[in-house]
Amino acid sequence: MQVTFKVYRKDPEKDGKPGRSNYALELPEDATVLDALLKIRDESDTTLAFRGACGRGYCGECMMRVNGSARLACTAKVPDYTKKGPEISLDPLRNVPVIKDLVFDWDAFMWNKIKQVKPWLEPGDSPVNGENLVADLEMQDLRKVMSCFYCGMCDEGCTVLPVDFNFLGPAALTKAYRLAFDPRNKDSREQVKIVEKPKGIWDCVHCYEADEHCPRGIEPTKRIVALRDRAFNSGITHEAVARHHASFAASVKESGWLDEGRLAVESEGLTNVKGLMKLLPTAVKALARGKAPIPYMHSKRPDAGKIKKIFEKAEQEEK
Amino acid sequence: MKYAFYPGCVSRGGCPELYPSAVKVADKLGIELDELKSVGCTGAGVLPQNISDPINARTFAKAEQLGLPIMTICSTCTGVMAQANYRLKEDPNYRDKINREYLADEGLEYKGTTEVKHLLWVLFEDYGIERLQSLIRRPLKGLKVSPFYGCYLRRPPEAITPTKELNRRKSYLDELIGILGAEMADISGKGKCCGFPILSANEENSLAMVAKHTGESKEKGADFMVTPCPLCHLNLDGNQPRAEAQTGKEIDLPILHLPQFVGLALGFGPNEMNLQRHIVATTNVESKVSMMS
Repeated sequence: MQVTFKVYRKDPEKDGKPGRSNYALELPEDATVLDALLKIRDESDTTLAFRGACGRGYCGECMMRVNGSARLACTAKVPDYTKKGPEISLDPLRNVPVIKDLVFDWDAFMWNKIKQVKPWLEPGDSPVNGENLVADLEMQDLRKVMSCFYCGMCDEGCTVLPVDFNFLGPAALTKAYRLAFDPRNKDSREQVKIVEKPKGIWDCVHCYEADEHCPRGIEPTKRIVALRDRAFNSGITHEAVARHHASFAASVKESGWLDEGRLAVESEGLTNVKGLMKLLPTAVKALARGKAPIPYMHSKRPDAGKIKKIFEKAEQEEK
Repeated sequence: MKYAFYPGCVSRGGCPELYPSAVKVADKLGIELDELKSVGCTGAGVLPQNISDPINARTFAKAEQLGLPIMTICSTCTGVMAQANYRLKEDPNYRDKINREYLADEGLEYKGTTEVKHLLWVLFEDYGIERLQSLIRRPLKGLKVSPFYGCYLRRPPEAITPTKELNRRKSYLDELIGILGAEMADISGKGKCCGFPILSANEENSLAMVAKHTGESKEKGADFMVTPCPLCHLNLDGNQPRAEAQTGKEIDLPILHLPQFVGLALGFGPNEMNLQRHIVATTNVESKVSMMS
């Protein structure tokens, strides 16, 4: 099998400008992208920098973009990427500082963020015979999350990171879930409070892209949603989000459905003149175009009382 | 063909142009709508599952009593209800618990048989494309259109695309653009988030997403973008001027709701579809459409 690899190049010790090198290779049919990179480095270009370790999809070291999509080079079979032609492009991840060629800055990409969520456990109970025992069943859900091998695929798929690199991202937030939901944890609210800060759970758009990208089926988005639900049920500490959620909940509780006019105003805060002023141009346009009804009315749903009863009972159950 | 119609809050609140357009289009297509009036908000991904699941179970039970599948006109309503329905259908113990604790008081029970479908899915899966094509009175030739699904209409797979065949749901809007005679201006973020869910938590990021999607569509030469999600519409249309101010770049891209887009092809006038009610002016679309008829 004859394949040409078009590989992203950048050498900070030379001019640091990004470019591309082409390597034409003869490969066996079962070759992986990592096999190809090793062959290039062994046989034709010793200056090419890339990462790779376990070679079997376990360590996550060799994550890169293969024909534009994030893949582990060691599990990406070359024939799967040559269906449209015998050329394969290899690039480092998007929106990540590149150190050299395909080697990017993992600290900036993920590890510094994981450190921010206090990624260790402080058990509440004193150990019995040196151990903090926990029932097997209680760990069932967490075991899935603990199978995370930090490949960063979820962060690569994230919708928010391309517009804000400082967002904690699904990998670090999933780590927070793993600790917050551990039955041995002394204070299950601690990690929740950490990730409630700006750039944490409330910056997530819960679009489920991360779940689609995770090779282990850990479902990072569902973990983030669980952290948010826990925050909601125990009192949100993020000020703007707390206002928004309280208004949303009050609206559904009182009328059965959402009063958007009220939500827009209450989310900004009734005393936040600056915040309310920025809504004004859109509000004026909406009124002029008949988008917002005059006079503004929001009626109760016919069974609003029954919906309120369910709402309050569910709230009570959680306490 | 009849559905339990769940129009959602936004179609009469922040996007009041949507509800009447959808009703007119359904009527023209011969889709009968029995509106669910005494049911609650889906929770929209804002309310936690422990509160929204019982409220949604009540909605499903009401539709089940009517013996009708639910039809929505909102990606977010569809997504949140489909996820809740998945949990309730998959786990009979969970369903029993919700029935016992929340619905029994009213004499209601959800047996787990209700289907939830967006109008977009209804067109392809129930109504039939040939039947739709036979009703096109104004093929939208010469219009370039970008699709924008709303992420809740794409994922998670167990609720939205549970079978290989239903994976096609991810391309319905792309297909529809061609079916109605228009040309597609494809964009990389069509299945991504519009930014609306984080408008309160991080307005800057939210508006950056609006600028990214609408800017790319404009660069691809689109006359407008079409979305089946009114929450996407609120952000992509309603907040487009603020996104322009943030990036310092003019975008000026009209955003149409799915029923408005279908309605234009069925022969409705732009005013009948309430295009004049949008924040971003639709003048260019209106003049191109008026040249066609």
